[in-house]
Amino acid sequence: MIAVLIARNTFREATRDRVLAGMAIAGIVLLLFVQVLTPLAMGQATRLVVDLGLTAISMLGLLVVLMVGTSLVAKEIERRTIFSLLSRPISRSTYLIGKWAGLTGAVWAITGVLGLSLCGVMAIRGSAAYGGSILQATYMAALELAVITAVAVMFSALSTPVLSALYTLGVFMVGHWCDDLRAFASQFPPTLARVTEVLANVAPNLALFNMRALAADGMPTSPVHLGVATIYALFYCTCVLALATAAFESRDFK
Amino acid sequence: MAMAWVVALGAGILAYGTAATAYVRLPRPQPFEELAYYPSGQALRPATLGHAETAADLAWLRAVQYYGEHRRTDLRFEQMAHVFDILTSLAPRFVPAYVFGAFAMAQEGREFSDAERLMLKGIENNPTSGELAFEVGFLYYVRPGGRDLRKAAQYFEQATRQPDGPPQAARFAAFARQHSGDLRVAFELWKDVYEHSGNKLMREMAEREMTKIQEAIETGRTELAVKKLATPHVNVVKSNH
Repeated sequence: MIAVLIARNTFREATRDRVLAGMAIAGIVLLLFVQVLTPLAMGQATRLVVDLGLTAISMLGLLVVLMVGTSLVAKEIERRTIFSLLSRPISRSTYLIGKWAGLTGAVWAITGVLGLSLCGVMAIRGSAAYGGSILQATYMAALELAVITAVAVMFSALSTPVLSALYTLGVFMVGHWCDDLRAFASQFPPTLARVTEVLANVAPNLALFNMRALAADGMPTSPVHLGVATIYALFYCTCVLALATAAFESRDFK
Repeated sequence: MAMAWVVALGAGILAYGTAATAYVRLPRPQPFEELAYYPSGQALRPATLGHAETAADLAWLRAVQYYGEHRRTDLRFEQMAHVFDILTSLAPRFVPAYVFGAFAMAQEGREFSDAERLMLKGIENNPTSGELAFEVGFLYYVRPGGRDLRKAAQYFEQATRQPDGPPQAARFAAFARQHSGDLRVAFELWKDVYEHSGNKLMREMAEREMTKIQEAIETGRTELAVKKLATPHVNVVKSNH
């Protein structure tokens, strides 16, 4: 219940932030601007709109996480407002989960708005049939952003905003290279291969949430894929938030 | 404050003029210069951070502009093979890229081997695409300097076996087999067209060809069923606009 209250406040705070509104507007403007490029695509306009639209959703969501999420806890530590919160009977895990849930809710709100806008643009273009696959791809992007938000909250609880942003960005990049790491591991000597494989499994497997190639062809993904991605996101967020709690509990604010 | 506005306006006008002049006077990088430095699409893929399809779309836009520019001027497409290799490595299921790139290279670019390589890469990445198999067959069918009817027939037949194969693939396969001299297989393919086509004219055509083939086999006179098809040539007229 307390976590829900913290989440609600965090959501309210994040949605009032000009960054979120700016990102939403930027996303919609980008979706409209892409229409200008479509005559140059020589018959591939639909694919172009879907690909650029889904990329905009992912990238703008990531920017929100980097700009808002990485200073989420650090800001409260800096302003000392965290003392009044933690002096109440609120566990640090409840606090972090509430913060994560609130920001994830805000990121999902912006992702939802942009995803529905993209569906609207496709419907206007006479390609309403792409709506289903676009919504699935948007859901997957939202799951990916939830995982990155958990990572951002963890770093925010342990470090300064700038370093948190850099670490989060680093984890995001490594997360997209998991498949390449596994491919490299097969070329390495056994010990190094093993270490690389472990790293590829420890880093968030963000390629699992990527169904942009299918969406560009208007094809849905399987329920198994959706289910596995959801479960993985749940496990990974739980793990990261638990680590964040463990580190945060040992932190002394004096 | 008024002074600040005046300075801003003046400097802005100077900057605008400098940019416009520089664009006209200074040498510009060609659209594909930056892509020429990348060894392959596989090397570029990690840099896209999961957005390889979007990167491929942006490369497609540049490729279309490149084609248009050289189609209007010198008809030299030296970078096409490399760029379409990158593009299709980033987006292996981007079927129109294989088709457009290959036909542009084969016809206007007169580089059939590059075109063939690109199309075969497409088939490897999209083995169940009937649409692509048909286009590969067609590439061999219209090969400048001499059709390769056997390979054309092979891919037309592959197209007929896929769910998205175009309906005309069956008669193209039969036609190509027949005129490559493989009469027995051609007969079976025409029979298939006769038995399954919903078009009366197609059935009549299939029946005629089956009759010709049967007569050719029985009499040993293959010229009754096999024609020497005209050699395809490419005659490119430069566009004036």
